[in-house]
Amino acid sequence: MEIGIAPTTPLSPAVFAILLSLAQGDKHGYHIMKDARTAEGGSVQMGPGTLYGSLDRMMRDGLVEESGFSDDERRRYYRLTAVGDAALAGELGRLAKTIATARALGLLPQRGRS
Amino acid sequence: MTSHGTRRESLYALALRFYPAHFRQAYEAAMRQAFRDALADTTLSRRTLVATVLRDLATSLPKEHFAMLRDTFARPILVYNAMVLTALATGLALALYAIPQSVLRQGANDPQIALAGDLAARLEQGVAPATAVPSASVDIARSLSPFVIVYDDQGHPLASQAQLNGQTPIPPAGVFSNVRQRGEERLSWQPVLGSGHSVRIAAVIERVQGINGAQSGFVLAGRNMREVESRISQVSQMAGLTWIGMLGVILLGTITFGWYTRPGPVSASVSERNHSSVQTGS
Repeated sequence: MEIGIAPTTPLSPAVFAILLSLAQGDKHGYHIMKDARTAEGGSVQMGPGTLYGSLDRMMRDGLVEESGFSDDERRRYYRLTAVGDAALAGELGRLAKTIATARALGLLPQRGRS
Repeated sequence: MTSHGTRRESLYALALRFYPAHFRQAYEAAMRQAFRDALADTTLSRRTLVATVLRDLATSLPKEHFAMLRDTFARPILVYNAMVLTALATGLALALYAIPQSVLRQGANDPQIALAGDLAARLEQGVAPATAVPSASVDIARSLSPFVIVYDDQGHPLASQAQLNGQTPIPPAGVFSNVRQRGEERLSWQPVLGSGHSVRIAAVIERVQGINGAQSGFVLAGRNMREVESRISQVSQMAGLTWIGMLGVILLGTITFGWYTRPGPVSASVSERNHSSVQTGS
């Protein structure tokens, strides 16, 4: 992927979980891993190798960047870029359409009306 | 941290050594810190942590090595350079084969050109074919000596020095038709031996007018190509070895150049940039 262009193909679970976690603010490595483990974060069991390998490729693609902030020199904080934000929005839109299709086909229960 | 925790961290630090050097250089400290944070996280069971880390090592180690190889050797400029050099090496090796092969093959006709010309001149001066053709017989399957044959206008032998399986060899009729039109033909001729094997002859055929006073015909001068073919085979082997050698040098050069110019992880360059910014005060 070229730097600065949001991906158009579905994101991997790890990349999606990282983007979702960073959408809530700047975070360091373990915090991202912890978010990813939760049901809300995608239930992705990610180790440090997968996390930093993904972050390296995501930085190369311009999706995230190091924030420069650190409360401990051994901890690195990362944040979303505008491209990362767009990639996340694109993926969420794709998932929303998929869920809408599943609902229309009766594969998922219809959303309750309030 | 407990002694168990220290031991686990040491083991993890040991496992990190198996990641590619550039990746380790950029992320080792951060990965160790993430592992330390995980050890300190009371909501995460040790069992889950160990399983996650083992699975992570099993998947991310080969992935990072593959990414390192891809980043190092699959760069378009590196692949393009290697392809251009391979094309040049292939062209050079083909030239190393084709030029000497052509020179050797054309040189194989030299005695026959002179022999055919001289014999045609003698025949046209009125010398009888049986007199003009030397009496010494040449077994064309075994001998490397040049030989001559005189044919009448229909391609039947009038006098011959050459013998193959006890008979005078006769070229295909189409050859004589061509010589009738062009006056001369230089060709590789492959008469079949009785055993099913064949022998290759470098032959020059000329049209002759006035054999025995009035008859038209042909003179053929030929020579077994065994020695020339052996030299062409040596040239082919040398060109092949040169080509393989050049490909080896290109491969080695590409690997070496790719390795020393490989891009590091993004984080490493960010760290280096930050470091140099601090040094320059920017």
